[in-house]
Amino acid sequence: MTLLKVENLTKRFGSLIAVADVSMVVEPGEIRAVIGPNGAGKTTFFNMISGFLTPSTGRILFDGKDISRVPASQRVKIGMARTFQITEVFPELTVRDNLQIAVEASAGYGLSVILNEEAREEVHADVSELLELSGLTDRADRLVGELSHGDQRTAEIMMALALKPRLLLLDEPTAGMGDQETFDIAKLIRKLHRQQNLSIVLIEHDMRIVFNLADRIMVLAEGRMLAEGTPKDIAANEAVQKAYLGTAG
Amino acid sequence: MTNNGSLTRYAPSVIGWIVLVSLPEWINAVGYTDLGSRVVILGLAAMALNFLLGHTGVLSFGHAAYFGLGAYGAGLTLRYLAPSTGLAILVGTGIGTFAAMLIGPLIIRLRGVYFAMVTIAFGQIFYFIAFRWNTVTGGDDGLTNWTRQPINLGFATIDLKDPVAFYYLTLVVFAVATAIMAKLLASPFGRSLLAIRENERRALFLGIPVNLRIWLSWTVSCGFVSIAGAMYALLNNFVDPRALHWSQSGTFVIMAVLGGMRSFWGPLIGSAIYVVLQDYLSSRTSNWMSLVGLVFVLVVLFFPRGVLGMLGRRSAT
Amino acid sequence: MTQLILFNLFNGLIVGAFYALMALGLSLIMNLTGVINFAHGGFLALGGYLAYTLIPYVGFWGALLVAPVLTAFLGLIVERFLIRRLYGHDPLYSLLLTFGLAFIIEDGTRYIWGAQAVPYEVPAALTTPLSSDYFFLTGYRLFMVALAAISVIALFVILKWTRLGMRIRAGTLDLETVSVLGVNTAILRNLNFGLGIYLAGLAGVLAAGQLGVEPTIGSSLIMPSFVSIIVGGLGSLPGTLLGGLTIGVASSLTSVFFPSATEAVMYVIMALVLLVRPRGLFGQEGRF
Repeated sequence: MTLLKVENLTKRFGSLIAVADVSMVVEPGEIRAVIGPNGAGKTTFFNMISGFLTPSTGRILFDGKDISRVPASQRVKIGMARTFQITEVFPELTVRDNLQIAVEASAGYGLSVILNEEAREEVHADVSELLELSGLTDRADRLVGELSHGDQRTAEIMMALALKPRLLLLDEPTAGMGDQETFDIAKLIRKLHRQQNLSIVLIEHDMRIVFNLADRIMVLAEGRMLAEGTPKDIAANEAVQKAYLGTAG
Repeated sequence: MTNNGSLTRYAPSVIGWIVLVSLPEWINAVGYTDLGSRVVILGLAAMALNFLLGHTGVLSFGHAAYFGLGAYGAGLTLRYLAPSTGLAILVGTGIGTFAAMLIGPLIIRLRGVYFAMVTIAFGQIFYFIAFRWNTVTGGDDGLTNWTRQPINLGFATIDLKDPVAFYYLTLVVFAVATAIMAKLLASPFGRSLLAIRENERRALFLGIPVNLRIWLSWTVSCGFVSIAGAMYALLNNFVDPRALHWSQSGTFVIMAVLGGMRSFWGPLIGSAIYVVLQDYLSSRTSNWMSLVGLVFVLVVLFFPRGVLGMLGRRSAT
Repeated sequence: MTQLILFNLFNGLIVGAFYALMALGLSLIMNLTGVINFAHGGFLALGGYLAYTLIPYVGFWGALLVAPVLTAFLGLIVERFLIRRLYGHDPLYSLLLTFGLAFIIEDGTRYIWGAQAVPYEVPAALTTPLSSDYFFLTGYRLFMVALAAISVIALFVILKWTRLGMRIRAGTLDLETVSVLGVNTAILRNLNFGLGIYLAGLAGVLAAGQLGVEPTIGSSLIMPSFVSIIVGGLGSLPGTLLGGLTIGVASSLTSVFFPSATEAVMYVIMALVLLVRPRGLFGQEGRF
């Protein structure tokens, strides 16, 4: 069954049309990349899926249910989590606290003042597991704001993962990173995908990542869908080369 | 290592409590017990404000309103309702908390300076009610003709006329209130508030209903500030509209900043410094108001992280 | 009765004009720099006192011209040496700083000019009623309303058509871009602050003639200005203007029918507006 179905999504800001009539279908377990030159409307498209913006027209179906107007915090509860282009973490808290907040939010403990022993241990175990999985265990008690850019990004991805999402939305996960960090993040994404049976939609500029990770690629240009297909199709697509790869290369 | 760690961690609180508990011993000699009570009460108010400001990241400049409601609630109870100090504290706290809960939905969608401005403005409603409703509140002259009453515990009666006895009552209320605040902040609920302070967008996308949490934090914060207000009325056996005025809110904020917004106990330190300084200045010069203003300016320019913030930074490096 | 209502309507308009002048200055500063200038009332008082001091030397009309300019100049200095340091920091700090300044200015004026209100001479030509039926229509009152109106129009003209005004408006929307385009934002913010304080000074001079000046005049006028901005909508100058006039007239009319609610009525209006429109009448989503 289809996990995410986007139908004719359009977003207007005044007279500017940021996203025009874009449709997309993501199957469970798929990694989908969204690429396109700057200003192609990728982030706006993403923001509509995650609930940060409401679409002007069109529909978003998650698990067959229309969620076009469901607020962002509710979309988290039905299994969507996202990261941001500029890393959004809790900088003055430790890595452990960052993850713990995410785990507690996900478990619905946000209003609790006293947790019973069982719940506390469960939270603790979940946090340890996330630390383990991300390789941040040795930095668990440091403030996130003091970590390297790559580690901050890793922490953000793990916070999203703590929500036990079925669909993970990653907005330029390797933006502003060096080669080694980019490679590490890609490895992490692949590992998470394999272990957690996640569906992932990611916006990415680094073509090595895109062609390495994605099952299917969608190309946006000037708010419209230019092409869609497997990495092979896209690499061979002339329109894409002209509009994007050619100029980017 | 762990022993050492927990020692350095708990030592300041232990010392702090020893100082607070033994305060009358060394302050009473010079007749300053009431000043000690004031430090503790205004410290509680500043800590309560800091629950919202320092730990939720929301700037209220209108907390005096709920402080004042607590004060009037207590005063009016003793004047008109029943000669019971306990009931006075309960009523004061209840009124302040309830008012905050009602105002909350009108303001929680706003942020930053806008939130600050609207909280100030709403606070003034209560100021004008107290100011204008002469027949009940005594208007500008304040609410008089009442005193705090002895507390009957069943097995013993505590006569609160004695400033030292009242100081200890204040300290017990303070201890219970701060224990609850500390417990709240160390809980999943408290962590979700820290999350909002740190990064509202991230909090929202963890599924935390941000506005609802701010409403709760605001109500809790105002609730504790109204307890402080009730105690303040009992301390003075008097309330006047100045307790509700926006300039009073400013002093709570400066206490929190002066002591250190990021630390739990900081505002108490801020209160101690501010109260002692103000007491000293106002006994020395009639222009103490400009000197207090100057304190504001200097703190902002040179101590923005507050006393404990500076210490924390030094020990971290 | 009609006369009474007319009288209060007109009074409300005058009071509203004060609120609006004051609130427009506050708004200007807040929109560009995100600073709530608590000391705005203090500057208003300074405007009044400076005019009072100047009148023996330059006369009423001279003081009307010079005092607001001097006040604005003080504003430029305060911005340059104090407020400028706080841009880009938590708005809490500028709030506290200007709060402290408000204390200092209020106490300073008390120290220099005394705690009692000082008398303020208005030319006799302006004080005589124009009509015996409508005794409240003195020349000074009409003059105040007219001058306030002219000032507001001038402000909008400056913002719309001068280079400084266009830059202020552009900076309000996106200061970073304006800076990238080569505008010196330090000077822009400085002049904008001065413009805001000029309006406070002018309101102070006008208020002095109507109410007299005393040290607390500033702190008593600052709250209504806040409410004007909130009601009108943060970020919108026309909204602020409308907000000021609305609460001025509302307070004044309430004082006829329900005197004890005179001050409270503006807060009730504010609560109602926020219930229906959380960002005020003309407030836009997204800013603040």
